[in-house]
Amino acid sequence: MNINLENEIFELDELHILDPEKLNFSLEESGFLTLDDGEQVYSKVNLTRLLPFKTKTEYISVSYEDDEEQFHEIGVIRDINELQGEQFEIADNFLKFKYYMPEITRIYSIRDNMRGYIFVKVDTNAGKKTLCIRDWYSNFKLISPTELYVVDADGNKYTCPDIRSLDKKSKNNIDMFV
Amino acid sequence: MNLKLSTPKGEENATFSIPYDLNTRTKKVNGHCVITDNEIRIYLDDDITEKYPLDYFDEYICEQLIGCSMLVGRKGDQRKFLCAFTQTYFIRYAELCKILEFYKRTGELFADDDQSEPSCTKCGLPLDSETICPFCAKKSEVFLKLIKRAKPYKWLFALALLCTILTEVIWIIQPRLQRTIIDDFVIPRNKDLHSFLIICGMLVGIILLAWIFEVVNMKASFKMALSIGKDLRQEVFAKVQKLSMSSVSKRTTGGLIRRVSNDAMKLQEFISQNGKELIVRLFSVTMLSILIFVMNPKLALFVLAPIPIVIFFNVKLFNVMSIRYGRVWRMSTRHSTVLHDTLNGIRVVKSYGTEKYAIDQHEKASMNWAKSIRNADIVWLLTMPFSRYILSIGSYLVLLIGGSMVLDQTLTLGQLVQYTTYVAMIYGPLGWLIELPRILADTTVSVSRVFEILDEDTDVADSENALDIDIKGDITFDDVYFGYKVYNPVLKGISCEIKQGEMIGIVGHSGVGKSTMINLILRLYDCTQGRILIDGIDIRNLSQDSLRTQVGVVLQETFLFDGSVYDNIRYAKEDSSFEEIISAAKIANAHDFIVKLPEGYNTRVGDKGYSLSGGERQRIAIARAILHDPKILILDEATASLDTQTERNIQEALSRLIEGRTTIAIAHRLSTLSNADKLIVLDKGRLAEMGPHEELMRNGGVYYKLVMAQRQTTKMKEVID
Repeated sequence: MNINLENEIFELDELHILDPEKLNFSLEESGFLTLDDGEQVYSKVNLTRLLPFKTKTEYISVSYEDDEEQFHEIGVIRDINELQGEQFEIADNFLKFKYYMPEITRIYSIRDNMRGYIFVKVDTNAGKKTLCIRDWYSNFKLISPTELYVVDADGNKYTCPDIRSLDKKSKNNIDMFV
Repeated sequence: MNLKLSTPKGEENATFSIPYDLNTRTKKVNGHCVITDNEIRIYLDDDITEKYPLDYFDEYICEQLIGCSMLVGRKGDQRKFLCAFTQTYFIRYAELCKILEFYKRTGELFADDDQSEPSCTKCGLPLDSETICPFCAKKSEVFLKLIKRAKPYKWLFALALLCTILTEVIWIIQPRLQRTIIDDFVIPRNKDLHSFLIICGMLVGIILLAWIFEVVNMKASFKMALSIGKDLRQEVFAKVQKLSMSSVSKRTTGGLIRRVSNDAMKLQEFISQNGKELIVRLFSVTMLSILIFVMNPKLALFVLAPIPIVIFFNVKLFNVMSIRYGRVWRMSTRHSTVLHDTLNGIRVVKSYGTEKYAIDQHEKASMNWAKSIRNADIVWLLTMPFSRYILSIGSYLVLLIGGSMVLDQTLTLGQLVQYTTYVAMIYGPLGWLIELPRILADTTVSVSRVFEILDEDTDVADSENALDIDIKGDITFDDVYFGYKVYNPVLKGISCEIKQGEMIGIVGHSGVGKSTMINLILRLYDCTQGRILIDGIDIRNLSQDSLRTQVGVVLQETFLFDGSVYDNIRYAKEDSSFEEIISAAKIANAHDFIVKLPEGYNTRVGDKGYSLSGGERQRIAIARAILHDPKILILDEATASLDTQTERNIQEALSRLIEGRTTIAIAHRLSTLSNADKLIVLDKGRLAEMGPHEELMRNGGVYYKLVMAQRQTTKMKEVID
């Protein structure tokens, strides 16, 4: 009796890796996803990058909220690249939307007025912009030796996945701030 | 808040209109969400793509994702995506949702647009709570603020300055006397001993005088430096104490320590030494420049010509240096943070055997710090010789041209010696001024970090006429909304009344907002909507001091300060007698274990009280709360981390403590709250139920489910055990 119960608890806590071949996502009108895993259909499904700073497609948690708004994790996809054609598109588009982060392609100048803010004039794949960054020592930083992560005063997030790919002037500009 | 930023072409009935800039394919779009008297209209460019009657949806939700947000309408179980936008518009959409929720409840479309949104007249940047535009503000303004700090010590400063200037004047007179000795005594072989001795006496006299001025200057400077340093440290520390929890928690402890100690020290040094020196050196350069010009304008031109080049070069260098020193500051703060973190968690480091990892982390931080200093200094060391070389070209030219003038007998040897002495003297302050970019760059970083704290607005501040009252203990939550992120409410529409002397338990799942309710009563944060009343007075109208001295808290994690058991209990009431302390310890069931300690009440508790057990620390915390004699007592999981026997002892102590006081307790173990007069049950941030244990059990609602779930878990544990 005791052993069975222990097993039961163990299974509940176990990491459930989802089989990509059985997953069938579709986009809901709500902006979230519906998932049919062959056994059950889940609505208002949310995908979450478990290691957002490390990988964009690996270890994606699949979860939903029930009518009581209680969180339930359906499982984890090891890599959404293993999803079939259109399925990958749906999951990847959802993740790109949820984690919308324009990529910085150029840094023209950084202005530090010694008041805790910096103003960074950048070019991104979503256009040119001057970013106002508050508490910049925590909101303008490298999250890996090569990836720049920026959060502006409004909470918009920007990234430069590989600062080595920037032009020399941009590299010089950020060099002293990260 | 302005909710009509722009309207699509042809839309004339918009009450509110907010742009949106994204589609679900993460493409930039140009759209508007328009609210009219009775409709919500979604525009893409200037065409309506969707429209619904305002009351079509049961609820409008502003769903914040990670990188963007979206507006969703809910109708029954169905949700409809309406538009997506970057976080730039999030606050406005969240405000719009609140207005639409009000509309759903009352049928009125009402906007509170009292709050003006000031923006910089020059660049248009929204000013939020700032008074000066952070973009347009000049760097020099922070320095002016720093200089103003010296105002209370202006007389000391003036004395030090006067003495230094007089010393400089003396050093200027000295070469004139040397010239007289050379031209009137040495070259003509003048044997007038009396006149010679008078001049020598004058030379010795002025040197002696210079020494006296120097001593007075040093004493005044030293006194002023210490006072300014003390004031700054105290001011920064006091400001940190006054800042709200949200302001403090966004910074690391290591970073804050650095600002209070190192940065304040750097400013002390700057004001006392470099500030005065700057004035004196500029004075010297001006005086000497005038002198050499008067003596020989042609030679003076050769001396002073390189100065503009050096100044231009140094201004450019300052910008480079200030950025590099900013990096040094960041690296040293990171090092402080690693140090503080590791030493603070030394028990965890040791118990996991991760000393090597901790050492590696420290080495890395230390190495990065050293590297940043090297990077900053290398620029300096590479450019400095160049500046000095440019500057000194003038002296060679003076020797060349001055020498030929002596040979042509258009200049006496004495005049040349006097001239070259002045030229040598002018290079002293000029050489110091060359160093200025480095000093200024280093200090600028510390100035900005210190003033960032000093200038920060306290978001939980006492009102102008804050009241000091004797609290009785009635607490009212009146439609309270609160979120740590303003538009992501943790508590939604909480309304309840707690009567004086009642024992109230707050229950609910983790993260439901139990501790948040307590944080609001303590006014560690202000509620975003609604109000909290104590004895019928809005707590925002009570002075924080009056409120917090009459509210006592016992937390799950007890924090004991380094000091004795006696000091830690007395912390709640500094003027308490030893007998009062013993009585409090006795009520808290702490006296018995304290007596058994070899040094009794004088026993040092060690860093954070680690020399005591968890139960002992908790009992000291309860004794502290008893001594505090609060009118309102808050117990936040006060017994959660203790074993059953210790918990029983502490429950006994607590039952004595709560007698006659309004008590609010949070406990995960619901059995601990069974004796509460009333239970507040929170669910998804809302007040789900309120009433005594028996009544709630009969209702079979959220509380009943919680109790049943907990009983089930206990049974399962028993089976496994």
